[in-house]
Amino acid sequence: MRANDAIAGLVLIVLSAVMIALTASFPEFPGQKYGPSLFPRILGAGLIVCGAVLMWNGLASRRAGAPWVEIAPWARQPRSLTSFLLVIALLLLYIFVAETVGFIPMALLFLGTLFLWLGVRPWIAAVTAFAGTLLIYWFFASLLRVPLPRGWLNSIL
Amino acid sequence: MPKITRRDFAALAAAAATGQALGLKPSFAQEAYPTRPIQMICPWGAGGGTDATARIVGVLLEKELGQPVNVVNRVGGSGVVGHSAIATAAPDGYTLGIITVEIAMMHWAGLTQLTSKDFTPLALMNEDPPGIQVKADSPYKTVKDLADAIKSSAPGKFKASGTGQGGIWHLALVGWLQAMGLPPNQVAWVPSNGAAPAMQDLAAGGIDFTTCSIPEARAMIDAGKARSLAIMAPARAKTFPDVPTLKEAMGIDYKTGAWRGFAGPKGLPQPIAAKLTASLKKIYDSKEYNDFMSSRGFGVVWNDAAGYAAFMDNADKQMGDAMKAAGIAKT
Amino acid sequence: MDAFLAAVRLVFDPYVLWVITASAAFGMFVGAMPGLTATMATALLVPVTFFMEPVPALGAIVAATAMAIFAGDIPAALLRIPGTPASAAYTDESYAMSKKGQLDLNLGVNLVFSVMGGLIGVAILILCAPALAEVAINFSSFEYFWLALLGLTCAVFMTTDMPLKGVTSLLLGLAINCIGIDPAAGYPRFTFGGVELLQGISFIPAMIGMFALSELLRGMVSIDARGAMIAQQIGNIFTGVFDVFKRYWFNFLRGSTIGVLIGALPGAGADIAAWISFAVSKRFSKQPEKFGTGHVEGIVDATSANNSAVGAAWIPALVFGIPGDSITAIVIGVLYMKGMNPGPTVFLQNPQFIYAVFIIFILANLLMLPLGWAAIKGGKQLLRVPRNILLPVILIFCVVGSYAMTNSAYGIIIMLVMGLIGWLMEQHGFPIAPAILGLVLGEMLEQNFMTSMIKADGAFIMFFERPIAAALGVTTLLIWSAMLWRSVKGKPTSLSGVAPVP
Repeated sequence: MRANDAIAGLVLIVLSAVMIALTASFPEFPGQKYGPSLFPRILGAGLIVCGAVLMWNGLASRRAGAPWVEIAPWARQPRSLTSFLLVIALLLLYIFVAETVGFIPMALLFLGTLFLWLGVRPWIAAVTAFAGTLLIYWFFASLLRVPLPRGWLNSIL
Repeated sequence: MPKITRRDFAALAAAAATGQALGLKPSFAQEAYPTRPIQMICPWGAGGGTDATARIVGVLLEKELGQPVNVVNRVGGSGVVGHSAIATAAPDGYTLGIITVEIAMMHWAGLTQLTSKDFTPLALMNEDPPGIQVKADSPYKTVKDLADAIKSSAPGKFKASGTGQGGIWHLALVGWLQAMGLPPNQVAWVPSNGAAPAMQDLAAGGIDFTTCSIPEARAMIDAGKARSLAIMAPARAKTFPDVPTLKEAMGIDYKTGAWRGFAGPKGLPQPIAAKLTASLKKIYDSKEYNDFMSSRGFGVVWNDAAGYAAFMDNADKQMGDAMKAAGIAKT
Repeated sequence: MDAFLAAVRLVFDPYVLWVITASAAFGMFVGAMPGLTATMATALLVPVTFFMEPVPALGAIVAATAMAIFAGDIPAALLRIPGTPASAAYTDESYAMSKKGQLDLNLGVNLVFSVMGGLIGVAILILCAPALAEVAINFSSFEYFWLALLGLTCAVFMTTDMPLKGVTSLLLGLAINCIGIDPAAGYPRFTFGGVELLQGISFIPAMIGMFALSELLRGMVSIDARGAMIAQQIGNIFTGVFDVFKRYWFNFLRGSTIGVLIGALPGAGADIAAWISFAVSKRFSKQPEKFGTGHVEGIVDATSANNSAVGAAWIPALVFGIPGDSITAIVIGVLYMKGMNPGPTVFLQNPQFIYAVFIIFILANLLMLPLGWAAIKGGKQLLRVPRNILLPVILIFCVVGSYAMTNSAYGIIIMLVMGLIGWLMEQHGFPIAPAILGLVLGEMLEQNFMTSMIKADGAFIMFFERPIAAALGVTTLLIWSAMLWRSVKGKPTSLSGVAPVP
């Protein structure tokens, strides 16, 4: 999906305006006329200028016949769109439940689901998911001491 | 009042220790603990002094307990992130942490609700007093010279640095100024991203003096780029015997310091906590720990669980007063 | 001379050589793993070095960091994931080159020029450590402010044909960097009361998201398309490298020099060296239009620069005990631990240890050639793996890498959100690299700006009062005016887009 630059510019302007509005409550340095709000305000002003120019350019191209929104070819294919959404959904699932479930079950689910969806033969998918998960766990958790969540397997590991 | 509390706590702790020593059958939890790796959360980044302390204690604790102790850096938010991670972990003894003086400051600054009451203190193991450092070719030869110059100058003419706005060394400056009877804004504070950039700025001539700890200033002092005029401690530091205390140099009895201790989440089972404190005590007495700390120039102090709790209460009050005076306390 | 011979004996001890080789292999691994940086490799080595003699302890760190900085180039070329932040500056260029079918040459160039850049860094470290450090120590917040601004200016150089979108991307990166505790007053900005947001947007998960996740998302939707895969012969990576050297020897020298200078500055390390040298390379190239299409020239500059910075960062560390970057910050701790208090005196008290460090540096860089070759061979096997197996595995690597940076799910959240932002930006033709640079340099810029403002009591003229600051400031302003002038002449519509000069 590709929106016209005018829309991108408008989004930037709105976001910058919100950012500047939020800085209103920031305190100032004791004894100075500026504080933590100065830097975000300078950036916000810069972004608004950029957004305005983008809108100007975008409206010019719109007059030249460019559409407001272009849908990329892949987004019209249900399969590609599902792939895209599946990755996001799996990441969200991982973020929310990995701490309780643990890295190993989550990684197996993560890899297994994606392998199967992408058409890997089931037995290869199972073996690769298993080997990959254990290898990553060994390398990061045991060797590099990254505290990957232990979750359900807490007592075994 | 604080004296009584401290003595009470000490008595309690002694009783607990004796009971433990006499008890022939340790409880089940104590016998079994630990059965799996322990996480040691460090609220500050890899490479810093707190990280180094956590790692040496982690290595030695691993030897004591026979289970891996992994130091995990949870960095950011002026220490809030790491301290919260320790306080909110399950109180099962498998998540411990190193907590620093900032725990007595950040709730005053309005960054968090967290206080030292949200932890099970285990032991205080390090404290470093601030020094007062000037550039090597500065006209001020003693801390009295500097103090006189500050007193006679316009407010804000002198610039000092050492850490961020409202950080421990900023409060040390405020406390020192107040002890001299001066307003907190007599010297302007230039926030810096830690002591190292402040010392660099001092050597480059950007500021007039720093109030960071001497171990942090040591490299520049050894390189002949800076001099330390005094330390804000009751006694001279073993590692820097030439630097006088404030009391010796100008008769002011002001002391403060940055400290580091070990703690678990609130509600840690008593047998586990006692076992950990005992292990930490062994580490504190070990040659490895003392060699390491003195090689870095870090001061060593010991307070057991009860002593540490009382110490933190006291620190909380002191920091609160200094922050209110400096106008940076929100609560 | 006695000290030198003593140093040789210390280093060429079987145990020390074994430690160096093992740490080198370890550094190579860690550097090639996205999310694990050279700093982390060092931090992980520290507990191991507790129990070692000074020479093997320092040898382990030297070897691991030198390798890690190079190894970061490998996943950048293969997967568009910079293994360490030091490779981020030319990740796009390198990946584009691989896609063009020049993977072998790309990796060969990265390896050979990393080795040579590293050797130049060591040579300078040996020859003029004290003199260079003397200059660097006189930098105060004014100089650092201008340096940071100069660094950001590079971002605008790098954006190919759309300065407006480049500036927008840069400002966006800087604005995102404002989230969290502000560097001067310690006030929480845009955190909405959350604890996690207090730590700000960690740069490495953000980088993994914007570069790697957005690439993976594109890969997922085009997985059925034929020919999307980088089809590569596995040949000799050294073929053609000598021709590149003959053609771009000057770039190599320039990149290494920039790397040494930036590395020697306290607080600026290999990553900033790579950004600046890449931008300089593009600015002075005879074929600037080829940049962005997989052109080898900028890679030569930048890959030499980041490796030469590794050695140079030891200059202020050894001479003054002031870290040149986050790695040497840890090194200083180790030096103290081993009773070698850094400072001018270390050259008098323990010269044999210092010579030993120098010898290990040279050895480590030479060792990089065979080990790097082996790592590349291993890494290239990755490309033989079918894409439908490779993509999910890389994705889980990104998850673990982002997690490792913050040690919490927060890192993964950053990666996901920044990945989506990066993906959207690329869909709309906004370059990613300037946003990343904004995230890298934002804090240094703001911190030094605010500090300088307080020191100057708000008088902007103070920014030009110190000679080096004035020189840097005038240079920066001249570059901005030149760009403004060019855009006025060239494309009137984007005039106001390059205006935010302070």
